[in-house]
Amino acid sequence: MLLKRQIPLMIVIGVGLLTLFGNFINNESIRDFVDNDATQWFDIIASFAIFLGALNMLKLQLIKIIKKQKNWQYSILAVAGFAFAIFAGFFYRGANFITIADIQDGQLAIVSGIIAEELNETNPYDIKTKIMGSQDEYEIDKLFMTEGNAKLLMEKLTPFVGVINLKSKPWGAHVQTKGSLFYWMFINMITPLGATMFALLAFFVASASYRAFRIRNFEATLLLVAGIILMLGRVPIGNLIPWWVVSIMVMFGIGAIAAPFIKERKILLGIVGGGIIIFIISGTIMGWNQTPPALLSIPIIQDWIFAFPAMAGSRALMIGIALGIVATSFRIIIGLDKSVLGG
Amino acid sequence: MITAEIMGAWLVVLLTLCIFSFLYKDNPFYKAAEHLYVGVSAGYVAVISFWQQVQPNLFGRLWPSRVEVDDGSILKSIWYAIYEIFNFISTGFGVLDRSIFPEGGIKGYDEIRMIYLIPFILGIFMLLRLVPKLGWLARWAIAYIVGMAAGLRFYGFLNSDILIQIKASAIDFTSDWGTIVNALILFIGTLTGLIYFFYSTEHKGVVGRLSRIGIYFLMIKFGASFGFAVMGRISLLIGRFNDLKDYSSSEYNYATPIILVFIIICLAIWSFMDGEKKNESTV
Amino acid sequence: METIKKIFILLGSLDRRIIFLIVGLSVLIPLIQPEWVNFPIRPTPESQIVFDEINKLNAGDKILLSFEYGPSTKPEIHPMAIAILKHLYAKNIQVYGFALWPDGNFMSTEAFSEVSDDYDKKYGVDYVNLGYKPGGEAVIKGIASDIRTLYPVDLQGTSINDIPMMKDVVNIEDFDFVFSLSAGFPGSKEWVQYACDPKNIPLSTGCTSIQVTDIMPYVENDQIRGILAGMPGAAEYESLVEAELQKMEIAGKPGEASGMMAAQSIAHVVIVLFIIFGNISYFITRKKNRKG
Repeated sequence: MLLKRQIPLMIVIGVGLLTLFGNFINNESIRDFVDNDATQWFDIIASFAIFLGALNMLKLQLIKIIKKQKNWQYSILAVAGFAFAIFAGFFYRGANFITIADIQDGQLAIVSGIIAEELNETNPYDIKTKIMGSQDEYEIDKLFMTEGNAKLLMEKLTPFVGVINLKSKPWGAHVQTKGSLFYWMFINMITPLGATMFALLAFFVASASYRAFRIRNFEATLLLVAGIILMLGRVPIGNLIPWWVVSIMVMFGIGAIAAPFIKERKILLGIVGGGIIIFIISGTIMGWNQTPPALLSIPIIQDWIFAFPAMAGSRALMIGIALGIVATSFRIIIGLDKSVLGG
Repeated sequence: MITAEIMGAWLVVLLTLCIFSFLYKDNPFYKAAEHLYVGVSAGYVAVISFWQQVQPNLFGRLWPSRVEVDDGSILKSIWYAIYEIFNFISTGFGVLDRSIFPEGGIKGYDEIRMIYLIPFILGIFMLLRLVPKLGWLARWAIAYIVGMAAGLRFYGFLNSDILIQIKASAIDFTSDWGTIVNALILFIGTLTGLIYFFYSTEHKGVVGRLSRIGIYFLMIKFGASFGFAVMGRISLLIGRFNDLKDYSSSEYNYATPIILVFIIICLAIWSFMDGEKKNESTV
Repeated sequence: METIKKIFILLGSLDRRIIFLIVGLSVLIPLIQPEWVNFPIRPTPESQIVFDEINKLNAGDKILLSFEYGPSTKPEIHPMAIAILKHLYAKNIQVYGFALWPDGNFMSTEAFSEVSDDYDKKYGVDYVNLGYKPGGEAVIKGIASDIRTLYPVDLQGTSINDIPMMKDVVNIEDFDFVFSLSAGFPGSKEWVQYACDPKNIPLSTGCTSIQVTDIMPYVENDQIRGILAGMPGAAEYESLVEAELQKMEIAGKPGEASGMMAAQSIAHVVIVLFIIFGNISYFITRKKNRKG
């Protein structure tokens, strides 16, 4: 009990209080520990939590394969994908590059030409300048995933250079260097899969808007109108919506608000129709075709809705959420909330 | 000639269209791509976390470059002998080249910080969650994370999300009437929105009417959020279609149309066979 | 009239795959034929503020550019990163790249390599990329207090003591501006809470559309100075930067986001029409059911 509950609880309280009061204590060692080491420990333990997640995923997929549960065949792909990522991260570096030095007299132009052809550059002169400007050795600005590909270029250059070496980017730097297998995996597997997963949502948002977004009450109407104005006002097409379309929309809006109070449909229709006609006639007389008033411009209306009513709602939500978080954090720090420790 | 770039392009198109095939219905192409994504992204995040954090900041502090710290003491020699043991294990008992533990220590820091054994041990405890009998040890590591997050968030949210936001809601009555009206709208909207979230009292009478006004402001906010959500999703869709459009050129051997036709044919066959299986099972 | 009503009732029960097809075409056609539609881009007040804030910086000033997005949100934010870098390089501002997301490493590498050569910028002198560290807000706190402890080496593994532009940089207070390219958590919110508010460093952000309403309260009271909202925000900033580069007589490549605004606009109109038709169909069906 002591080891399983009391000690973790003491850690939560101790670390929580130290982190919180670290903002106010003026002692250098404590400040240094809280601002630097404590945060570093957090980062390191967070990394191990990531490893735990990955290993847990692997364990679940392997259990699915071994016990031949439903769709176990797909789990082989999950395990294979994981293994490939680990292979690219820890066992196969790639990111090979070539360095040259001691170029023989009169051969600089030839060497520059070969390198320019490899790099798909039209002007070898830039490369010649860079080679001449380099002090000890010149690193060719191309990374090769396999040593075999690099050696093809090395064979072309060897007759003209004194010293030619094949090197690799250091372990660690290889995970974000172009030309490494890991980078190839990121660009050609993770990027399309992740991006497309998110892009799928565009279709479902459209489908949901069409099938489920209904004006059942005043609140839903407000939500809908705000959403539509924002969608049209934020994109360039909003500038092109003419003032008379907006005035028609405004009259319909007035009609919708007045509808519960006016029982006679003909009177309501008369007000809305008459309003539209008056708007269009007066706008034409006042030259709104050339200079429409700001109030009848969707982007301007959108700016105002966004800056004030929507902002007020956002602020209320932000303060409300923050109060909840502060209260929960306080409960955790003083040891009242033990649910985070699994009990 | 098939280069790594062209192979990569075909893989990108295949995986993209596999995910998009879900729009027809859940099918083997989508399931395969989904599982692949799960596996590869788990491995990817683990590798990045290791090389960007654990190796330089944990191992780099426990075993910095020996040139910087070696004073010939026996304790340091024993300590770096442990380093060599880890290296021996990580290279498959000497089979592979050195990677995680380079020769002579890890460059970066210039002193050994033994206090970093604490996060190292807590990290190991975190991993022990996978062992049923020792899983409780992970609570110590989680306790550190939770305590620290609570301490960080308490101050951060109190300052930036409460105090400064309340301060910003104040109205400057010396400005022009347009600004005052807008500021009043902001103030009333914020206050009534917060009243709506106050559940300790029943929403009746004045409180009921004020919370009703609060809901209206919140609905406008949600409408704006909906508009932005649509905008964001459409932007991502445009990005994918743009890539598919680029890969449909002769430079990439017409990857997009070929793979699209292939997937449509396969889905048609699968759909037909799936339909027949369902008919048989109902019979 | 009855025929029209029947059409709307039929539309109300449309198969969702037809909706998917219409949405797909509304995005695809403007991408394939961009010359068919060409809309002028109007910078919003928030984008203008971002532009003005960065324009106020002087040559030699230091900016912390943080990459908190990945491939899934690249179409929205990467064009902003490119436009920002063009603007910063044109003004000879020193750029320090950080990442709070693992994918941010690749995004930052790609952005720097896409733009730096065009402006003859040298690594270590004009820009540096310190890379990603896991830990979220703890990393931001570390940057706020001591960068050199948190980042002993840069993304390439070079010690920061060997990088000329890292010489006088100790913590966030040595920066003149912070710009966060944010797609979620951790992101701009955390920069506000743990670094820029406590240390009073000006901050601006470009974020995904979905986050905008949550970030706006910070923008309203200047905790964040302006905001680039999603792909339209990126297109607006591109148009402002292009105009500025023309003034400075610097040649530049057109931005990516501007070319996609036609598709974005058409898709939005299609969805608005879907909502309107869906509601008309709903009212007609409801009226019919009440009568029946």
